[in-house]
Amino acid sequence: MSQKSRVRRVQELTAAVTTAILSLTLAACSAGSSSAIIGTGNTGVAVTVPPVVNNVQPVLMDYGPIVNGQFVGFNNTLYTTVIICVPGTITCQSIDHVLVDTGSTGLRIPASLVTLNLPFVTDSGNNPIGNCVQYADTTYQWGPMVKVDVQMAGEVAPSVPIQVVGPTNFASAPTSCSAGGFPAQTVTELGANGILGVGIFRQDCGSACATSTPPAVYFSCPASGCTAASVPLGSQLQNPVWMFPQDNNGLAIILPQVGAAGSVSLSGSMIFGIGTQTDNALGAAQAQGADSLGNFTTTFNGKSYSGYIDSGSSGYFFLDSSTTGLPNCASNSDANGFYCPASPVNLSAINSGPNPKGTGVPASINIAFPVANALPLIDSSSVVFNNLGGPNPNAFDWGIPFFLGRTVFVGIEGQSSAAGTGPYWAY
Amino acid sequence: MRKEFILSSILAAASLPAGATLGGTAETIVSDQSKLHAKRAVLDRRDYTVHEITSADGTLVREYVTPAGKVFGVSWTGPTIPDLAQLLGTYNAEFQTAMRAKRGHRSSSAIVHNPDLVVESNGHMRAFHGRAYLNSMLPSGVTEDAVQ
Repeated sequence: MSQKSRVRRVQELTAAVTTAILSLTLAACSAGSSSAIIGTGNTGVAVTVPPVVNNVQPVLMDYGPIVNGQFVGFNNTLYTTVIICVPGTITCQSIDHVLVDTGSTGLRIPASLVTLNLPFVTDSGNNPIGNCVQYADTTYQWGPMVKVDVQMAGEVAPSVPIQVVGPTNFASAPTSCSAGGFPAQTVTELGANGILGVGIFRQDCGSACATSTPPAVYFSCPASGCTAASVPLGSQLQNPVWMFPQDNNGLAIILPQVGAAGSVSLSGSMIFGIGTQTDNALGAAQAQGADSLGNFTTTFNGKSYSGYIDSGSSGYFFLDSSTTGLPNCASNSDANGFYCPASPVNLSAINSGPNPKGTGVPASINIAFPVANALPLIDSSSVVFNNLGGPNPNAFDWGIPFFLGRTVFVGIEGQSSAAGTGPYWAY
Repeated sequence: MRKEFILSSILAAASLPAGATLGGTAETIVSDQSKLHAKRAVLDRRDYTVHEITSADGTLVREYVTPAGKVFGVSWTGPTIPDLAQLLGTYNAEFQTAMRAKRGHRSSSAIVHNPDLVVESNGHMRAFHGRAYLNSMLPSGVTEDAVQ
């Protein structure tokens, strides 16, 4: 992992600390907001409407968190600041530079950053529950489940199960989690102060982990050691957005476009709710559903592949060199894992999925996307790019470049809006 | 079309989803035992056999065996990634070395294309897929496309 080493910028660090303090103050003020009661009329029956709360959460892309005076962020990483609190209290902490990830579900915070004393999520035998999350790049995170109130903008999700990653005072990772893989558990390994999974599902694993033959994702962890266990939906990692009292049917990520040379930073918004306030209407966005695994169909040059949208991926990762004609970057270069065409190419593909309104007419959306030589981009001072591409055999991973210059709506499983019922994407 | 038939439909082999190791002998598929309950089927293709091991959680591991009884390829599909250290066996060290050379970025895949060893892992939470094979051990007339 070669995070770009950069000179520490004291003024940026100072600004970050100031922001964190401001956020904490706001958290204390807006926690515990309640519904307004209006229009009692002649019948005397109260009509309850959700309060209008601030649903706009700032997001940014920059050099990432600082460890030992060095920026440790990766290229094309979308961050936000999350406030976590001891459930039901205003004892909170603010964590900046948490990765915003539409490709996973749930909040995961490195143990070294957690200053609060948080209650474990336990099983029926009162044993702590451990969670293992694996990624296809063969990295993993392991650690216990705890409960926090999650605050972003003016929204508070109460008592949300999250993962504390890699604590030294908890059982070590089971073999099924760690074998053959790489831990991505520290801030430096993650390039972030945690991961905020805000994808299209309510839970990370869902019903598969609540069956009697679950995959090795959740573990019961008595003192004698951890064993794989079935865990009910409510104890699994949750997308915090669907647990908000309002604006809980999804979210929109809005980022501006950048030029072909990239940018050193970028600011945007994550807006909670879809069609719930004046600032999150679908407008002209087209919606397309996804299957129970999170995939839709991407058609490229007449052939169909699995497609998915993942703000936690740093590029357009699609197919392979022999299928696309795009040369891989040299394996001994800084751009190992990307495509390095001699000159930029403009490509297009069609994303299609079931109509989330259930009409039976699939929704298809044409996407044009550029891929440039990754090596000079990655060796530049920029860290935000709209034209990074790389291989991903037989699949299309629409990463961060897809989000630039777009509003991307994330429709959460089982939640409804004017677009239909999730899981769906709209853009 | 190649004619496929199931030689021995389901063996009561309680083996790991990852039974044999890449480059090893097919006997290790059966001899590897674990507490996990898995079902195994053997499919005969013209130039090789495929051992399919399905575990209760829905993970499917396929092992591709040469006529001489050597495992020339493995593939996996399921909700988690199988134990790659076991699946890749002696080739795991080479895979790990290649992965360490990857620079700081996030993708949803791990791809190693060395002269002999090829490993491709992709997918995401709930839906992982991958394969590994050895170019030097592909049976005559068989391409890497066989390993799916």
